[in-house]
Amino acid sequence: MNYSKQIQDIAVRLFTENKIDVFVGYRKNVGDDNQTPFIFKNPALCDKLVFTEKSTHNLTNYLTNETTKSKKVGLVVKGCDSRSLNLLLTEGQVKRDNLYIIGVSCDGCVDEKNEKEARCIACVMQSPVIYNEMLGIEKEKKTYTIDADLLKLKHMSLTERADFFTEMFSNCIRCNACRQSCPLCYCDKCVIDQDSSLYHNGANTTSNAGMALMTWYLHLAGRCVDCRNCERACPQNLPLHLLHKQNEMVIYENFQNHQAGMYEKDRGAFYKYNLSDPDDFIM
Amino acid sequence: MAETKVKEQNTVASVENPELPVDPNWEPVIVGILCNWCSYAGSDLTGTSRIQYPPNIRIIRVPCTSRIDPVMIVKALQTTGDGVLVSGCHPGDCHYITGNYFSRRRFLVVKQMLWTMGYHENRVQFSWVSAAEGAKFAQVVTKVCNDVKALGPLHRFKKEDIK
Repeated sequence: MNYSKQIQDIAVRLFTENKIDVFVGYRKNVGDDNQTPFIFKNPALCDKLVFTEKSTHNLTNYLTNETTKSKKVGLVVKGCDSRSLNLLLTEGQVKRDNLYIIGVSCDGCVDEKNEKEARCIACVMQSPVIYNEMLGIEKEKKTYTIDADLLKLKHMSLTERADFFTEMFSNCIRCNACRQSCPLCYCDKCVIDQDSSLYHNGANTTSNAGMALMTWYLHLAGRCVDCRNCERACPQNLPLHLLHKQNEMVIYENFQNHQAGMYEKDRGAFYKYNLSDPDDFIM
Repeated sequence: MAETKVKEQNTVASVENPELPVDPNWEPVIVGILCNWCSYAGSDLTGTSRIQYPPNIRIIRVPCTSRIDPVMIVKALQTTGDGVLVSGCHPGDCHYITGNYFSRRRFLVVKQMLWTMGYHENRVQFSWVSAAEGAKFAQVVTKVCNDVKALGPLHRFKKEDIK
């Protein structure tokens, strides 16, 4: 999977035709083989654009910041990224007319150790769901499978699970990198940033970190597309995806196989309801 | 020395964690989040009908169950609550037509999420109680209270005192 040349050509063409002001893409790191998201403003730099299986970040996170807001933007999306883009469009955060989307039919990304990422093995949508131009062959939607890490967690006892999450929350340093790197966390003022509100405060204790993370999980339930920008950004390497996958599994199994961002104008699972939703757990 | 022995004899193992002994005289704190139009009126009926129910429940009145942010449930467990009871109108009876259909979805997700995190499933319970079901409200509170008593005090993820 190497589309660097094609994407460079498209970016230069879009700049010369004045269709875009900036281009959001990947650039190779100087020191190693990995890549960094980069906002190209100058067509002369476009030969630095790359796209290989190392292009793992979700670039839609950069559509809601000051550099790109209310500008004409070209960007590269994979299958998972296009789902979060779909949600951003539905929630009114970006305008479709301002975007030129290059969709890439993805074969799965590799991590820093050159192994295929766990999320890509279980990926359901490899080809983009929204694009202006597509590279590669369109692939069919795959069946949903439960995350392997989550299954391991499910087999643990109640106290073991509680210990696991106590350790996870106590290791959190509350840098909020997970929130910041999340493409669907776009609020200007975040509720977990409050210094002293009814629910949250800035203290770096286990329970407060847990509270902040749980709030984050619940705000993303039914919207998370499993791009794992959060885990990549986490300086403590916390297994942040576990509870996202848990919520995703419950929503998929109970609410008519809902998966976030698969269709246009499809909001999160909590924005709609069905009369036949399960309520056998309610007395 | 003699006193501690007596205490040990009187304790029962917690359902949640068998290593933790629970004092049978311990009284839990249950945070009840009730919808204004059905369950709150139902609890009022329980009182006016002179039906006895455990006084462990501390009631918070909200306009509708869909007003309940799942974070409120988590916060109740993090501070004083040993258990949470959320109660609202029966499906189809919502004062705001569809509020409880939306909240029903959220409750399922938050219940499963808390279970995965290591909270016992009986810590957070949900019920539909209408304004005419005073007797049912008493039953529900008694059941939740007994369930939480069997689990023992909640120690997990409690808010630390910051000095």
